[in-house]
Amino acid sequence: MVPPPLVAASRQRRLVSGDRVFSVIAYGAAGLIMLIAAIFIIALVVPALPAVTKFGLGFFTSRTWDPVRNDFGALAPIYGTLVTSAIALLIAFPIGLGAALFLAEDARLQLLRGPLSFLIELLAGIPSVVIGLWAFFILTALLRDKVDPFLQHALGFLPLFRGTPTGYGFLTAGLVLAIMVLPIMIALSRDVIRAVPRELREASLALGATNAETTWSVILPYARVGITGAVLLSLGRALGETIAVTMVIGNNVQISASLFATGYTLPSVIANEFTEANGNVYLGSLFYLGVVLVVITIVVNVLARLLIWRFSGSARATA
Amino acid sequence: MKRVLMAASMGASILLAACGGTTATNTPATGAGAPVPPAAALQGTGATFPAPFYDAARFAYNLKYSQVTVNYNPLGSGAGISALTKKVVDFGASDVPMNPTELTAAGGADAVVQIASTLGTESLAYNLSGVSNGQLKLTPQTIAGIFLGTIKNWNDPALAADNSGVTLPNQAISVVHRSDGSGTTYIFTDYLSTVSADWKSKVGKGKSVSWPVGQGAKGNEAVATTIKQTPGAIGYVELAYVLQTNMTQASLQNHDGKFVIPSPEGATAAAGQYLSINPTQFSIVDAPGPKSAPISGYSWLMLYKDQADKTKGTALVDFLDWLVSDGQQYALNVHYAGLPANIVKDDIISLKTVTSTGTTLLNVPAPS
Repeated sequence: MVPPPLVAASRQRRLVSGDRVFSVIAYGAAGLIMLIAAIFIIALVVPALPAVTKFGLGFFTSRTWDPVRNDFGALAPIYGTLVTSAIALLIAFPIGLGAALFLAEDARLQLLRGPLSFLIELLAGIPSVVIGLWAFFILTALLRDKVDPFLQHALGFLPLFRGTPTGYGFLTAGLVLAIMVLPIMIALSRDVIRAVPRELREASLALGATNAETTWSVILPYARVGITGAVLLSLGRALGETIAVTMVIGNNVQISASLFATGYTLPSVIANEFTEANGNVYLGSLFYLGVVLVVITIVVNVLARLLIWRFSGSARATA
Repeated sequence: MKRVLMAASMGASILLAACGGTTATNTPATGAGAPVPPAAALQGTGATFPAPFYDAARFAYNLKYSQVTVNYNPLGSGAGISALTKKVVDFGASDVPMNPTELTAAGGADAVVQIASTLGTESLAYNLSGVSNGQLKLTPQTIAGIFLGTIKNWNDPALAADNSGVTLPNQAISVVHRSDGSGTTYIFTDYLSTVSADWKSKVGKGKSVSWPVGQGAKGNEAVATTIKQTPGAIGYVELAYVLQTNMTQASLQNHDGKFVIPSPEGATAAAGQYLSINPTQFSIVDAPGPKSAPISGYSWLMLYKDQADKTKGTALVDFLDWLVSDGQQYALNVHYAGLPANIVKDDIISLKTVTSTGTTLLNVPAPS
């Protein structure tokens, strides 16, 4: 005798049709995302064409940005974007890694861990325009009157710290970006360090290594790939940040070795000039900058994802 | 990976200027003889420079004629021109009249009416301790020198020559300019191109230019704040912002060689030197006359000559007719200058050419 089905036939039919509806919705949603992405790419590339045809690859090597003569080049904003992001990472990397190690490793201050994690997430949640406002009104004056003169006094022999500090420029923008990427840097590194298998740690300690030696020779090498991913994701954030940077970078199309000098970044040019960009070539050049920015950001993000994915994968395999 | 803090790095800002389509139904009793505009909701967008004036004026007009509401969205002159071209607004506003290319895109020079709506002037505001308002004297040559980067320090002999009696400090000059494209920049660079051959050949005039020196800030407010925050700074700022925020501004030497502190009266004096202006000949910078403020300019409004919606069109020309005549009193309150009588006359003649299905919409007597 055939046992009675676990689910009544009518109910089973309903489930099947429910499945079908659900899968249609899911496929539709997935398809919609791809459609939006496709429309976005087309809407970005097509308006850029007048500038692409006029300037070609010379766009990347020209440091001119002259709306009066309709002559545009991306070198200065690319330089500004890379320099400010590099400053941000140079500052955020050691601080972020140190904080992450503390949060993940040091068990002595258990009580502090919760509030500190909360604070970091709070920092991540502050809108960039608020950070920009604070930087514009307070950080610029602080840098101009205190930090910059000190740097100039101590390291003025380097071309990096020459010129008159005004409080605006590459260094200020880099500092603001460092503040903005710190939460990403800390949270990701902390998770990566926590994923290091416990056995490795214990084995190292059992062999007589101190905590510091274990961290330096076992944990960090193991988590290296994941930490690199965290750095790249922070970089992705720094590259695209617009409003806070626009408020303090000085918005000046120039390439200068001095970190006190004013400059420009790719997103800032677009944000500043799109309202009055008349003519296909001018507007096209702004879209061309947009294409450059999107390509750089996508490459950085994909690299970061791959590294973190590889790390988590291998961590799971060994665990 | 338990938590991934992933910040969306791309933000898309979509600016939509929607056309207000609501029409109120109640019409107040018609006054004796005076034409009363029909009920309509008018939508405009464009220049930020005259926005405080337009806001004061449209509010006053709505108090007078409650059936007409006027919205104004200050998104920039470029946005004003493109919104008009795409017909998503009833009128556009720009600090520089539409050029031939833009007019072609909008259907040709004959399709669009452009009128001067208000008059403004610019100041050079500075931050120098011990140098009070109006004490610093600048000539066209020193202004050009500062913005070209050939005069780098406040103790430069060229500056000292015009400022006997004032101790200018040994301090680097921080030039502040607009980073966003703007009519304010156009008028200022038009001035520099007029007074300095060097500037004309090296930089030129435009709503955005390639600045030889200095740092950019977004909008009049940010330029004003940056100057206030930076010792040794100087920058060009719309007069209204200078007066509202009590900044120190320089005396400027005008075409006649007289030093004047920019004021609305100075702008009117400069404008009075030109009997007529039109969308191709509109520059009034470096005007002759002893009282003329040298860095002055008009702001413009654009509308289509043929109005598709007769009711809306009638309300629109009535509003603009009022704006360039009675409405000018609201310009003075916010530190803009009143239009000279000859320009008001030209404006009304232009507005009388606006039609809908062949009928003239503005039925006021032609100004004499």
